[in-house]
Parts: sequence; C-alpha cells; structure tokens
Amino acid sequence: MAGDRSTADRSTAELERFLAERADHLLRTAALLAGSREAGQDLLQTAIERLLRRWRRFDGDPEGYLRRTLCNLAIDGSRRADRWRSKEGLLQAGLRQTPAPDAASDVDLRDALVRLLWKLPPRQRAVLVLRYWEQLTDAEAAEVLGCPEGTVKSAGSRGLARMRELADDWNDTAAAGGGWGKQS
Amino acid sequence: MNTDVEDLLRQGMLRYTAELRAPAGMVRVAERRRRRRRLAQQSVTAMAALAACALVVLAVATSSGAHRDVTEKPTPTIDTAYLIKRVASALSAAGSVEIAQLTVISDGHDGTTTASEWSYGDQWRSLVYAPSGQPIFDAGGTSSTYTLVNYSARTWARQRGVAGQTEPPSPRSGCEQASADLSLLLRPGLLSTGPAASSLSASVVKLLRTAISCGTLTEAGQQHVDGIAATKLTSSRGSLISETIWVSPTTYLPIRVVIRPAPGSPAAAQAADITWLKPSAQNRAALTVPIPAGFRQVPFGPNVRTITP
Repeated sequence: MAGDRSTADRSTAELERFLAERADHLLRTAALLAGSREAGQDLLQTAIERLLRRWRRFDGDPEGYLRRTLCNLAIDGSRRADRWRSKEGLLQAGLRQTPAPDAASDVDLRDALVRLLWKLPPRQRAVLVLRYWEQLTDAEAAEVLGCPEGTVKSAGSRGLARMRELADDWNDTAAAGGGWGKQS
Repeated sequence: MNTDVEDLLRQGMLRYTAELRAPAGMVRVAERRRRRRRLAQQSVTAMAALAACALVVLAVATSSGAHRDVTEKPTPTIDTAYLIKRVASALSAAGSVEIAQLTVISDGHDGTTTASEWSYGDQWRSLVYAPSGQPIFDAGGTSSTYTLVNYSARTWARQRGVAGQTEPPSPRSGCEQASADLSLLLRPGLLSTGPAASSLSASVVKLLRTAISCGTLTEAGQQHVDGIAATKLTSSRGSLISETIWVSPTTYLPIRVVIRPAPGSPAAAQAADITWLKPSAQNRAALTVPIPAGFRQVPFGPNVRTITP
C-alpha cells in the first residue's frame, strides 16, 4: 500500500511544516496557560498528539484546534489537580500538585502579574491569556473556551480585578520604600 | 489604572515567553507518546473490562525481566491466554509466599474510581468500583481460568484452558530493562494491578533496587505511612509521570504508591495502598470472584479475550 504510506508521510510533513512556523507561539501560549515552561511544553506536546490522531482527516484550522485544546487541557488539568488535592492523606508526601512556576524573579510588577496569573482559577487565567496574549475578542475567546461570551467577560473582569489589587499593593509598597520585588 | 495593568500584563507575558522556543521533533515525540498513551489507555480499559490483562502484563514484565518493549510497538495485540500462562510461570519462579492486597484510587476524566486488588501466586482478583461506590467489574483467575463479572450488564463469563506462546529474550541492558519495567509498573491505569500487587517478591524488590542503582528512583528519606516506618522513593526529574513509592525499610516491599501524570496528560492520577497478607484460608478466599445470584453467564467473546488497538 505505497499510496497509503505516501499519504501518511505527506500529512505528517504538513504538520511538521505548520509547527515549524507556529510552534514557538503556541508553546508560549501553553507556558502561560500551564504556569511553567516545562509544563507548557508538555501541554503543547499533548495537544499535538491529539491533533495527530485526526490529522489525516483534519479539515480545519490547526492553530485554532491546538489553541482550543491547550485551553481545555489546562483548565481540565487544573480542575483535576484541585479535585485530587482534596483527596485524603495519600497525597501528602511527595506528590507535587501543580507544576512549580519557573523561578522567574519578581524583578518588577510585570513579572509579578504573570506569576499572579498562574494563581488565578483556570478559566480566568485562560481568558486573560486569550485576551492579552492571543489578542482575541471576548467572542473569539468564548468560542475557543466553548462558553458564553458573558462568562468570558465576567471571568476576565474578575481576573483583571485581582491584577489591579496586586498592582495597587505593589505601588503602595513601592511608595513606602519597601519594594517587594528584587529590583535589578 | 486598568489599561496600565493590561499593558503591564502583556509586557510581562512577552518577557516571560521571549526566549521560549519549541524544540524540534515535537511531531515525532507526539507520535511516540501517542503510542505509549494508547497502550496505557488500552490498559485502563483493560482494567475496567478485563483487569486480568493488566495484571498479567505487569507481572510478566517484572517477574521475568524479559518482556517485549510494548511501548515501541505501534499495534500490539495482547493475548490474555498467553499472558496468563506467562505470569503463572513467572510468579511460580518468584516463589510468592504472601498475598498482596491493594486499595487503589484513580482520578481520571470519568471521576474518581476505586479498586480492590488481590494477588497470590498465580491467583489474582480485581474488583473495580464506580465513583458512586457500586461495583463495575470483578475479574480474577489463575493460570488456567479467567472469570469476569460485569455488574452493569449483570453477566459473567469464564474461560478455561489457555494456550501459550514463546517470547524472544530482551536485548536490553539491566538499567534499560529496569527503566522499562518501572515505567510499566507505574504507568497510570496499570498501577492498581501492577507487579507491586502481583508478586511478593523478589522480582519487585529487585526491580526497585535496580531502579535505584540506575538512578531511575532515588531514596528520599524515611517517613511514616499510616504510622508505619517507610523509605520514600521518588522518580527522577523529567519523568513523564511523577511517581513516589514508599517501601518497607526491612523487606523493601512497596506499601504505598502514588502517581501523578504530567500536566495535561490524559492519564489518571492514582494512589495505591498495599498490604501484604499471610496466605491463610480466610485471606485466600478473597481471591475468588463470586458470581452474584441472578447474573447471566455469557460466552467469552473475542473482545474480552484479547485487546487489540
């Protein structure tokens, strides 16, 4: 079945060409969603794996598919981690519940905001990443997340409110001469 | 202020991701991982529909140290009959003298399920419960008999007389083999019916010690598990899944295993407590699969006998 083989090869090559162009950006999205570079890479790898399953018959926008999968995986993964955390003492020792954020130093408010992003509930985090990293509209983000536009708006609003609180604290501390980041 | 925060967040995202570059070969890696996960998921299915297969696969892997590298096979077919025979001889060689009893919690997409597992020599049993607490499957058997009770369908099936096959020896080195065996031992979905349960044993202890000497596992101090002193073993950084195993300091038999898959992985997080029981008549009775009254016997179909991707 040489014909089948060449079709499969061509399809994989197409996917590789697409990723050669877009994988960096998608990896950055994944890292922001997952909370660390390593976790982001694994998230993207899993999303690519899912795309690969249907690649031969795939008829759509691969970047959109991957973006949607990344968001779903990140949200679902966080929920599962939360559920799992609630289990009893089996998990107390040696079980890291969430990927440890990279040791990005809080050199300024911008870094602190990114670190706060990873502490937000998964849907709020996904909304902020889609809006401020992917530059999507609320309607587009709602389509990616598979939820009503109103949900996106409210999640984004709550996430930003937390960001504003942090910025206010930051400014207050800086004004008092404390500075909670290491200024470098 | 609002706009400022939005701009600052954008800038922070740019800064954080500025140097991120996707590694080459992600499609190839995805293909490999897809094959591995497909096997893992088949095994999860096997645990739900045919827990026997998972048990036998793992017992063969750790007891014989000469299994095929199924993770590299794109389209493996696991023949239950063959595996049952293999594990029987492997366990016999290992000389099992105690019953392993596991309580397993799995947290996957379908919610939290629990399972009770027993293993002794070539006898084993796996009773899987739904999140509601109702039993789903009760499977068990010996080297010559396999019984499966399906609580959802209120049916049961039994297969007797199994045939075997031969298997080529593994060309792997000790560490490669240990790493492969350990990954099978701790693969999500298989933990509950893994070698930790299926053999006492020499083979499990040897596997753990080999994994430590190879650096796949690291001793991470002493802890107490439910009041029992234990040595904690942790998996090396960079593993696809995070494994932690607590073993008895005296026997080195595992008493608790916790698995957490990598973020984004579809695999289930699992935790298992393992109790090693004396093979008294009462304890051995737990290895028998009871057929509930009113359940209908059905033929052992090919979908039950083998697992084919």
